[in-house]
Amino acid sequence: MPDGLVIVIVAGLVATACGLLGPFLVLRRIALLSDAVSHAVLPGIVAVWLVAQTRAPLPVIIGAAAFAVVCVLAIDALRATGLVASDAAIALVFPALFALGVLGITRFASGIHLDLDATIYGEIAFVPFDTVQVGGFEMARSGLVLAGVVALNLVLVTLLWKELKATTFDPDFSATVRLRPRLLSRLLLVAVAITAVASFDAVGAILVVTLLIVPAATAYLLTDRLAVMVGLAVGVGWVGAAGGYALALPLDSSIAGAMGLVCTACFVVALLASPKRGVLARWLRRARRAPVAPPAVSP
Amino acid sequence: MFGLPYTDAVVVAGALVLGITSGVLGAFAVLRRRSLVGDAVAHSTLPGVCIAFLVAGVKDVPGLLVGAAVAGVVAALLMVGIERSSRIPPDAATGVVLSGFFALGVVLLTHLANSTDADQAGLENYLFGQAAGLLASDVAVMAGLGVVALVVVGVARRALTATLFDPGYAGAIGLPVRVLETVMTALLVVAVVIGVRIVGAILMVAMLVVPTVTARQLADRFPRVLLLAGVVGALVGVAGALTATRGELPTGPVVVLTGFAVAVAALMFAPGRGVLWRTRRLAARRRAVRRDAVLADPAAPVTGPGDRLTRAGLRRQGLLAADGRTLTPAGERAAADLADRRALWTAWLAHGPSVHLPDAREPTRPTCAPASARTPSPSSAPCPAGPNHDPRTRDSRALFQRLAHRPASRWIRARESLDSGGRVADGRGGACLTGW
Repeated sequence: MPDGLVIVIVAGLVATACGLLGPFLVLRRIALLSDAVSHAVLPGIVAVWLVAQTRAPLPVIIGAAAFAVVCVLAIDALRATGLVASDAAIALVFPALFALGVLGITRFASGIHLDLDATIYGEIAFVPFDTVQVGGFEMARSGLVLAGVVALNLVLVTLLWKELKATTFDPDFSATVRLRPRLLSRLLLVAVAITAVASFDAVGAILVVTLLIVPAATAYLLTDRLAVMVGLAVGVGWVGAAGGYALALPLDSSIAGAMGLVCTACFVVALLASPKRGVLARWLRRARRAPVAPPAVSP
Repeated sequence: MFGLPYTDAVVVAGALVLGITSGVLGAFAVLRRRSLVGDAVAHSTLPGVCIAFLVAGVKDVPGLLVGAAVAGVVAALLMVGIERSSRIPPDAATGVVLSGFFALGVVLLTHLANSTDADQAGLENYLFGQAAGLLASDVAVMAGLGVVALVVVGVARRALTATLFDPGYAGAIGLPVRVLETVMTALLVVAVVIGVRIVGAILMVAMLVVPTVTARQLADRFPRVLLLAGVVGALVGVAGALTATRGELPTGPVVVLTGFAVAVAALMFAPGRGVLWRTRRLAARRRAVRRDAVLADPAAPVTGPGDRLTRAGLRRQGLLAADGRTLTPAGERAAADLADRRALWTAWLAHGPSVHLPDAREPTRPTCAPASARTPSPSSAPCPAGPNHDPRTRDSRALFQRLAHRPASRWIRARESLDSGGRVADGRGGACLTGW
């Protein structure tokens, strides 16, 4: 397989995994959780280094995933007190975890080169070079991992579709009919944490944060149906993956950045030209409305 | 200052100034549920820095700062614009702008790196400073901005409060809502741009959010929250910076962790509001329910440890007999009291709205003459003898009268006397409140 195709497919897998979960994050108004997770994994990497003195991918991913889960559960617990809004809960937890990681590096690991770029915040351009042999075929390792994550998310979302839908749109009702919104919310958050960590390793933090938020927000502008929204989010993610790769080659720039840029361009197009909710559509509606006479002044 | 060497004193002073400024300005972000605007602005400055570098061609600090500030303001305004012009919720708008700008910045940065000479190296690190590397001039700039921000907040306090909590009302009374919001956003952006350059994005996020979250647990009025946020910001900054210099640790992370600890402590122990207080209230209510359940049915099977504890307590109070299955005479009285309260409450729920009580009465019969009026006009009929003729109401009145001799129903008796016998005593001179 040509390297370009591998890169686009791996990015598309990330887009699929993120597109399955992103709409729920956007609808639950916790979209910035992905940004929080991308910072909160640092102490996990440091802890793995301190305990096992290793930077091998598997233990690092496990350590990072552990702290990502700690991060989302801490945010959930803070939110559950009802004393802080979810945005403030996010903004409280992830700086603390990141600070813990920085403190760990400067205190115990300053001698080695342990930074985010080198360990977990992967670079998508290197994906085709890291391969494993499966049944005689040479496959990209991160592609296999991501295929597993996509399958996991797909199972989660299809099995719990109506539960997730109900708890997202009406938590009080779903608590009344015993759908356990807290448990479902935690499940979703853990899935986000695992997806994020697995994807950081392959494509880098920027792209994961972008793919969790931007395609879902784009889809939210285009449809009122949740199933369509999830499908559109995955589609926009694939458009971003393919378009970004095509854009990055002539620009000679970061592939992940270009993919993010194409996704954002999709969002801008949807914002302006969405048939029902776009800015242009609203202007047209306003213009087409009959010119209103100034209200007559009553005597 | 504090007997510290010069560099440490500068760091502590910087943390103090930064704490006050970001504490006060952060309140406007946190209370609008836009806590992560600071984070988004910090990331959004990257393309601004790249473009400033492209335009100027050199890495000079003021030029890059201007580029960063312009990009930050554009990003902040775009967030507001996306929210206003579509149904995208605020956090998603913040996320879209954050990732879009950061992706643009990364593309520009790598494009620069691959197309020009090595002059641009380290551009991305230009923004993410270290608290330990503070200079006195940085502190002076931050202090100047802080004074400007405090003056603006002080002068426009009422207008800002109205805009913050009820923009619709603020617009209706003629306040320039858009201008006020833009001014506050611009102040926040400038604070973030300068703060990020000095202490880094993550510390900035924490310093914007921690003071207000803490202050909000301790006060309910906005001026007090603002004041407390400034104080908490200063305390967290100074305490963290001092700890860091004593322990020879990096300043930023220690300040962040101090702030986190303070915020969590406030969430736990805030008087009357914290998690601990709420747990206590809940436990007291749970105990009362258990006690009532035992009093209502002492012979019921024991359900669990909580129930057993309640029964032991009742035995100690002399309400439950030694066998734990029957009530003592005092217990019987308490149970009768409880039954009264329950019956009264049930009756109130069922018939409350139709009960004729002086305070709850509406002036429905304005034509009847007040009893105490000195010259009743011939046209107005005298008030009917009973206060109410609706049969449904009479039934509920009878029910309340039956209950009225019970001790728990003392207030009903007071009402009854006002209502029927105390027609004159209620001071308004009539059974129906004419002219209300």
